[in-house]
Amino acid sequence: MIKYLATASLLLATAYLTGGQALAAEQGITDTEIVIGDVEPLTGPPALLGVAASIGHKIAIAEANAAGGINGRKIKYVLEDDGYVTARTIQGVRKVIDVDKAFAMLGISGSGQSIAVMPILEKAGIPTVIDVAPVKFLWEPPRKNVFVVGQSYEEGIIHLVTYLAEKNPGKKWGLITQDDDYGITVRDGFDTVVKAKKLNVVYSGNYKKGQQDFSSDMLQLKQSGAEVFLAGGIIGENIAMMKELEKLNIKPVVGIFWPGRVEPVLKLMGPAGDGIYAVDYVEPFAGPAGKAFLEKAKGLIPEAEMKGINRYSMTGYAAAKVLIGAIERCGKQPTWACTIAELEKTSNVETGIMAPISFGPGKRFSNQKLQIMQSEFSTLSFKPVK
Amino acid sequence: MQYLIQLLISGLAIGAIYGLIAMGFAVIYKSTGLVNFAQGEMTMIVAYIAWTISTTVSGNVFVVAVGAILTAIVLGLVIERVVMRPMLGEPVFATVMVTIGLAVILRSSINFIWDAYPHGLDLGVGRDIVRIGDIGVRTGQMAVIATLLLLLAAVWAFFRYSKFGIAMRAVAADDRTALLMGISATRVHAIAWAASSVIAGIAGVFFAISYDLSPAMFQLGLKSFPATILGGLDAVLGSGVGGLLIGITENLAGGYLGSGMKEVAGFAMIIVVLMIRPFGIFGERDIERV
Repeated sequence: MIKYLATASLLLATAYLTGGQALAAEQGITDTEIVIGDVEPLTGPPALLGVAASIGHKIAIAEANAAGGINGRKIKYVLEDDGYVTARTIQGVRKVIDVDKAFAMLGISGSGQSIAVMPILEKAGIPTVIDVAPVKFLWEPPRKNVFVVGQSYEEGIIHLVTYLAEKNPGKKWGLITQDDDYGITVRDGFDTVVKAKKLNVVYSGNYKKGQQDFSSDMLQLKQSGAEVFLAGGIIGENIAMMKELEKLNIKPVVGIFWPGRVEPVLKLMGPAGDGIYAVDYVEPFAGPAGKAFLEKAKGLIPEAEMKGINRYSMTGYAAAKVLIGAIERCGKQPTWACTIAELEKTSNVETGIMAPISFGPGKRFSNQKLQIMQSEFSTLSFKPVK
Repeated sequence: MQYLIQLLISGLAIGAIYGLIAMGFAVIYKSTGLVNFAQGEMTMIVAYIAWTISTTVSGNVFVVAVGAILTAIVLGLVIERVVMRPMLGEPVFATVMVTIGLAVILRSSINFIWDAYPHGLDLGVGRDIVRIGDIGVRTGQMAVIATLLLLLAAVWAFFRYSKFGIAMRAVAADDRTALLMGISATRVHAIAWAASSVIAGIAGVFFAISYDLSPAMFQLGLKSFPATILGGLDAVLGSGVGGLLIGITENLAGGYLGSGMKEVAGFAMIIVVLMIRPFGIFGERDIERV
């Protein structure tokens, strides 16, 4: 009898504890809603990427909500502005996790900002998919709950410089980079190829973040006789450099990196921007995949937000799609543990705008396939190079 | 030689932009004794308004110019009346903090009102390249140098010969005595803010024509502040010249010493100059620094 009672009590206690756990859902989940948080630069110059990435997240979320949400729960998107200031990113992430009680996170701001909030994300254990600024530190060593969609800056530069080196053998090279972590990564990637291919670098410049006049820098480039030029600026810097080259009446083969590969830049560069090479892991908007993405977005976000779309909207969309899919596969009562496990199982997820996305055990980086593109001034677009 | 000439021309062109903004700093300081840390943001706002006029009303250069000048006047007057006048008589530190707050608000307003994308101010003029031998210069750059020189002459004549210019100098020298002489200090302040806004706006429009329009444009204010310190915080003409000196120094340093030296050179120059003349090259000795 005692034995029977003890077994019954144990079963009852187990049932209570298990049931209790199931009933007391993870934070950010109600019967009707699931909260996904994000922190991006929505003000200041980097808003160009932050706003676009958040629009990408919104498109994926609107698409999921239009299809009934995640197993019947509508997704609520909580977005915080950090103004690209790391202290505010930390504050924003804490708010999203502790106050808004987000179930999962997307984003997050720039590379430095993502690195700064890594301890908070790890400590909280919240499932997170990073999509804006992929740098190695975010996935090396792999963190249990943090996944990164994209390709590393260094790999991107290596791919671009290798392509240009093979296309322009024996030419003289020039490079200019920004004086920050972004610039260092670009330079590291460039130096890797310089060593491997024994490139002849005749100009190597470094500019201070925020510099707007590149007249002396480009004059030095001209004096050096560089025939292939890697413009390591982001947006405004690359525009200013191309205008200076036009003024100086020289037209070297120019390569730019994906943070600057946004279509409005071509209009501002004018004819000087024709034929620029770029590298990216998302499809160009001029291609069928890009057009389909824009068409899809039209029905899901307000007209006013359409003009904010750029390549970062694609990376944001892909990351959100992967996260939503993982939560969905956890069924009616998703937990952080299940979502992380499902993110890890992500295999060949098609987003239509980049190569299929996969993670795996100990693999937290999707390592997207890269492609070379070339700008076309007449259509103000980038087209893949065959 | 061509290399040097090209560096000098480019230096003069960007220096003229710094000079105009620096003149704006000096106009306000001379009339109110205040350093306006929102000067770069005012430059940016007027340029954005000019762009909005060009894309929504008319791309005609005269329409845009008149519209931008009128808007700049209104912007300056509103800031003076709503933000600065209530601070009259308050500690200088508090007033300066107000201008810093104003700068942040104006900077953020770009994203709220417009967007984060760069835009080109295309008025059909200013972008053509004039070539003399191997040296190239955009017509907009030539125009901004000419505009600075014209403004320097006009401002000199204004302060020397016009009744209101003399009144402004009187307020700057001793506002209480000026008040006893029947000069309205608040009116002088209002006009100074409006004039400063217009001068900064002209710089912003020229910059947008020659380069582009982006939310990073406010940084021109940071680059121009050394110019006004160099020329003399209370010297309107000196500040304009200071801008040219900074522009040329930056470009020569960038061209001969390397890209990294470009940003340092201007500041190195003002350190040396201030050690010899703490009140700037053209400044008066008894100014109060903030």
